[in-house]
Amino acid sequence: MEAAIQSYWPTLVRWSLVGGTLGAMMYLLNTGLQRVGVKRDVARGYAFVLPWIIGFLVFSLYPFVYSFYLSFTEYNIFQPPRWIGLDNYVRMFTSDRNFWPSLRLTLLYAFFNVPLGMIGALGVALLLNRNVRAIGFWRTLYYLPAVLPAAAVALLWRWMFSPSSGLINFFLQPFYALFNMEPLAWFTDPNLVLPAYVIMGMWGVFGANAVILLAGLKNIPRELYEAAQIDGAGAWAQFRSVTIPMLSPTLFYTLVTGIIGALQIFTQAFFITTPQRAGQFLNVLIYQEAFAFRHMGYASALAWFLLMVILVLTLLVIRSSALWVYYESERG
Amino acid sequence: MKVREDEAMAATPAVAREKTMRSARVRTPGFRIRHSLERFLTYALLIFFSFFVLIPFAYMISTSLKTEEQLFIWPIRWIPDPIAWSNYPQAFVELNRIAPNLTFWRILANTLFITLLAMTAELIAVSMVAYGFARFQFPLRNTLFIILLSTMMLPGIVTLIPTFLIWRNLQLINTYDPLVTGIWLGGGAWAVFLLRQFLLTIPRDFEEAAYIDGANVLQVFVIIMLPLIKPALLALAVLIFQGNWNNFMGPLIYLNSVDQFPMVMALKFFQESLSKEAPKWHYMMAMSTVMAAPLLLLYFMAQRYFIEGLTIGGVKG
Repeated sequence: MEAAIQSYWPTLVRWSLVGGTLGAMMYLLNTGLQRVGVKRDVARGYAFVLPWIIGFLVFSLYPFVYSFYLSFTEYNIFQPPRWIGLDNYVRMFTSDRNFWPSLRLTLLYAFFNVPLGMIGALGVALLLNRNVRAIGFWRTLYYLPAVLPAAAVALLWRWMFSPSSGLINFFLQPFYALFNMEPLAWFTDPNLVLPAYVIMGMWGVFGANAVILLAGLKNIPRELYEAAQIDGAGAWAQFRSVTIPMLSPTLFYTLVTGIIGALQIFTQAFFITTPQRAGQFLNVLIYQEAFAFRHMGYASALAWFLLMVILVLTLLVIRSSALWVYYESERG
Repeated sequence: MKVREDEAMAATPAVAREKTMRSARVRTPGFRIRHSLERFLTYALLIFFSFFVLIPFAYMISTSLKTEEQLFIWPIRWIPDPIAWSNYPQAFVELNRIAPNLTFWRILANTLFITLLAMTAELIAVSMVAYGFARFQFPLRNTLFIILLSTMMLPGIVTLIPTFLIWRNLQLINTYDPLVTGIWLGGGAWAVFLLRQFLLTIPRDFEEAAYIDGANVLQVFVIIMLPLIKPALLALAVLIFQGNWNNFMGPLIYLNSVDQFPMVMALKFFQESLSKEAPKWHYMMAMSTVMAAPLLLLYFMAQRYFIEGLTIGGVKG
């Protein structure tokens, strides 16, 4: 127990000191600015957002710029960074044998996981929106998987996908017998790693998205449906011209957050062993380059590449949103 | 059946409105049959999907209560016989054998230390920043807020290496500081966004009255504002607790000594120590259940606020 206290105590002191110093700085900024004649509202505003401004400079802007610089260097933390120009990027695209399989796995995972998860979520949300009884109960139930730790989810699904004794192959047994085939090996078969990850990812996310989409559905004014019915619109026409446009901002939000999240999958990969040939997720590759091989420069280049992928995909979605996302406030 | 249905319909104004709408249509027997068929299908589908959600859960708990021999019995026995409650303590005894100082209580203390300190710092910092953005007019406010929103798109892995180097230069690797002290400054942008949205819905009257009574800005913030945004704060608290409790990348990078491991790292450590031939799934599922239990408990306790807070970003954003 004493050892434990020894490892908590110094951190606790530093934690309190940093918190206290920050509070004092906010106070001084507020009174100081007001003393030199800055308007009260302005002084208070800056004082309140001070923690974020410092945090942004120290933990976002500086690391952002510095990692961009590092991506053009060779750096193993023990010697100072050495400038090597575009070599890291050239190596990434030409000679790194892990890069392309890793990019392929990550992109395909996002490509399948996000739309499939959204369709499932939309289906459940539409069902829940049909004046279902005990709505709270269903909502709680469907949200449940999102509460579980990613590590526990990964272990659970690895066990469920276990080729010889897992639950999935147990359920599929009659199917295997019917077609006279070998049981699928899921996470241990390089070709099935992706579908296994997609199924696992859907389980984790579709209920949470359903709850968000349901809130969006509840926000659609009933008058719109009534008007559509008076105009003689059937169920499908109502869905297409009332539900989808009115829900599009919420769909847009889940799509963007879904893509960003799916491209950054990390924790799960540490609890599931997959064959080398299947590739690793980009985030895992970056982690290994940085912290297992101490290739800080090369890892930074990979991280910047991932950032570019996320930016391009997000911008594509945002650009396309003009065509399909409907904002009420823009109507007039 | 019909009476119960009418009762349910009169329950809420929205449903009542729908009722008048329905009565405009002709109520033929055919309509009634179609209507109840639809309801039947709705519930059938909901139940079908909920199996997809619940079966893995049931399998986790069922596995955690099996003896080793029962793991591989086909067909699967959902209720183990005998029920091996001892798996729960035994899993941590096994872990303790390979990591002598890492008892269950030590792991719990480590996890709570990280989670509670990080959560406290983040809640305090984030609520102040959100208040600043929501209530005061100052130059560059909107630009700063857009920058804040755009940091949400920045993948953590991009800033990870330089951030690691900062903590290394401060000689604080292998302490809890990167996981808890940095939070004072590195509060989540999404949390600021969420709280600001919530703050914008609250009228200024209360604050103005308090200022007239002579309160200062900190008093107004703590005594007037914080109680008003309590539902959002509670939702955030649960989400932040969950995030830190589950955080794996942070401890993986910053903590080297096994004694300091939180639950998730202990789980990883335990898994690595097992051979591929004997993965001891009953122990791993027991540990996973232990790790998930507090989160599930918190979720059930705070779920009303939780779902409200969760959806605010997506719907009102």
